[in-house]
Amino acid sequence: MEKLKQNPIVKKLGLNRILLVGILIVMFVVFRAVLGSKFPIVDSIKSTLNYVYFLGFLSLGVTFVIATGGIDFSIGPVMFCCALISGYCMTSYGVPCALAMVICILVGLCFGVFNGWLVSYMSVPPFIVSMASMNIAKGLASVFTKTQSVSWPLGSDPENGWFRNIVSYNGFPTGLVIFLLFAVLCGIILYRTKPGRYILCLGSNSEAVRLSGVNTKKWRMLSYIICGTMAGIAALFFVATYTTVQPGYGDQYNNEAIAGCVMGGTSMVGGLASIGGTVIGVCIISLLQQGIMAFGLGKGQQMIITGIIVIVAVYADVSARRRKN
Amino acid sequence: MGEVILTMKDIDKSFPGVHALDHVNFEVKRGEVHALMGENGAGKSTLMKVLTGIYQKDSGSITYKGKEVEFHNTREAQDAGVVIVHQELNMVGDLTVAQNIFIGREPKKGFRIDDKKMIEDSRKLFRELNIEIDPREKMHNLTVGKQQMCEIAKAISHKAEVIIFDEPSAALTEKEIADLFVIIRDLREKGLGIVYISHRMDEIKVITDRVTVMRDGGYVGTLITAESSKEDIINMMVGRVIYEDPKQHSMVAPDAPVVLKVEHLNAGKMVQDVSFELRKGEILGFSGLMGAGRTETARALFGADPKQSGKISIMGKDGQLREVTINSPQDAVKYGIGYLSEDRRRYGCVVQKSCIENTTLATMEQYTSGLLINSAKEKEVTEKYIKELATKTPSADQLVVNLSGGNQQKVVIAKWLTRDSDILIFDEPTRGIDVGAKNEIYKLMNKLAAEGKSIIMISSEMTEVLRMSDRIIIMCEGKVTGNIDISEATQENIMNKATRNID
Repeated sequence: MEKLKQNPIVKKLGLNRILLVGILIVMFVVFRAVLGSKFPIVDSIKSTLNYVYFLGFLSLGVTFVIATGGIDFSIGPVMFCCALISGYCMTSYGVPCALAMVICILVGLCFGVFNGWLVSYMSVPPFIVSMASMNIAKGLASVFTKTQSVSWPLGSDPENGWFRNIVSYNGFPTGLVIFLLFAVLCGIILYRTKPGRYILCLGSNSEAVRLSGVNTKKWRMLSYIICGTMAGIAALFFVATYTTVQPGYGDQYNNEAIAGCVMGGTSMVGGLASIGGTVIGVCIISLLQQGIMAFGLGKGQQMIITGIIVIVAVYADVSARRRKN
Repeated sequence: MGEVILTMKDIDKSFPGVHALDHVNFEVKRGEVHALMGENGAGKSTLMKVLTGIYQKDSGSITYKGKEVEFHNTREAQDAGVVIVHQELNMVGDLTVAQNIFIGREPKKGFRIDDKKMIEDSRKLFRELNIEIDPREKMHNLTVGKQQMCEIAKAISHKAEVIIFDEPSAALTEKEIADLFVIIRDLREKGLGIVYISHRMDEIKVITDRVTVMRDGGYVGTLITAESSKEDIINMMVGRVIYEDPKQHSMVAPDAPVVLKVEHLNAGKMVQDVSFELRKGEILGFSGLMGAGRTETARALFGADPKQSGKISIMGKDGQLREVTINSPQDAVKYGIGYLSEDRRRYGCVVQKSCIENTTLATMEQYTSGLLINSAKEKEVTEKYIKELATKTPSADQLVVNLSGGNQQKVVIAKWLTRDSDILIFDEPTRGIDVGAKNEIYKLMNKLAAEGKSIIMISSEMTEVLRMSDRIIIMCEGKVTGNIDISEATQENIMNKATRNID
């Protein structure tokens, strides 16, 4: 094992990430072997990717927040809130599709600003802030849409159907390209820019960073803003794949996004984050959902399994840290 | 002196980067006061923490009352009768004296706490010790000395047979120390084993029966106090390290300009109407007892804690002294102040990050070309400072957590040097740093001062204050009680001023 860790290629990619990719492949093979034709290769990959898109954006966003040592439990409902408000503007007030898409992202941004401001400037614990804003997001969406579900235009819609090209264009997976581009961008922000450096350092020891003359409040807030904005983008990918959103839902995606993030090696206590890990983690979670569905298991079982994954991943992180100390 | 009650043999303990205890031996007899001496960082406190179960030893054995024991936490040690009275008092300020003494083992009357019994028992304890404290008083209303008495009472109430005093006199006035000695002698009469940790040679001669000396985490030897001279003990403590004599006179040029002027600074209870001036190239020592308000003054000045009032003026690049507003560390850093905390792991560095990330933390904007961080430049600058400060680290990428205390301190110094800070506040610069590295830090501070940086040095070590400072400000209970030139400074007159307000 030690020898393997010293191998330059392994070192570069990270043993953790290689293992995760291994898990991903093994999972796929097992599903195929057990389920056979109930798990068709091409369709399964397609549906997994569809899930990866929206979940991936949520996960990338929340990676920044977790890197500061915070948490955001509002991302799922915020995503739905974004899609509902902007979709309702389009269907009921005749707002053009392009503008609705902008509104969608802006709503997410606003939630990010709200959460970030409360956490860093008002010193309200992130757990409470995000729990509360989860309810606000759900309530706001219900009030705004008068508790109706909202459907975004279908691909066949001659006027507005074009927006679905963000997921796929004539069979080409544009969604995958956009998602990976964003992942690379997030990686650059986190590891190669000043804000990213501050976010990681303040997650590790906020007081030492503050005493170095850094405006920690501003940078902590930024992480929530990134997170909220990403939820807005996630919303677009959600409706471009699944068309319809209903008010009052979205909680389950919190856990799934956080699970993907933590599984990828981002530490819940802050200071350590892996964007590459998050991407692979999200793929594993998404594949798992497809597998569960192919097995004929319902939402309930799905939630149980995700819950267990979060606990196992966080426990693994905590115990790894304890061993180190 | 009676039979041996406690023996520690071949105790070994390492922390990452530090071999804290190297096969140390120690024993205590019934009815003796046994001094444990050594420089700061010699391992006295660590040894006692191993004894009372706060740390677990790596190897060695502890025999207590004839049986080999291993305490896993202070509770187990207490139950067995080994109790420590800490240097930092562990009291809950908002609870009463009686509640503090019986915390965790309150007498019960049915389901309710029996307050009456608790207060009565506390009274009894105090009577036994000849102390006058009202058990119903809130802890935070007592002076540090009185709080310490409560700690002792608490220790006695545990049916202690071995009591460890970890620098009990550090925060006490002379009268309080005298009272303490009466109590200690009384406990000795009763056949308890007492461990007394202190730096003060005079006290050791007065109160102890034997002295064990430690140096650099190792055991040096044990002497009988009555048969040995001060010099014997000092020689054992100091060993190979030759201490420079105190500074004779100030190194600051007589016409050196004032770079920082603080007037009537008020911040909470611990900083009251503090005024002082710092001149270019000066090392200004801040002396005083624990809790005198020195760190609080520094933090308020640096903007780390809020202040109520006060005027701060700083010399600008044009040489003019100008009033500035400092509401946050950001402001302070902007005006060229750097703060090196007494608690490096909590406030000084981001220990889970590399030397590079820590060195450049206060100067990020120098390393960003456009949007991206210039890693090559970062590394270059960090390596330059590693070389210049002789920081011992395998590489610039090494995590700071893996460095020793002295080298962590150097990383923090590098952080402020990259910032080109002209005013550096060193808060206990050598706390927890081993003797060799200590000298290096001293040399570095002298070099910085000679280069025209101005340094505020907060220190609780008298030798350090006398050796390093050009001028000394003495504080007591939040007020400045003295401001003397090094040429006039002696241990005695500093101590006098440091205890002026008390009693």
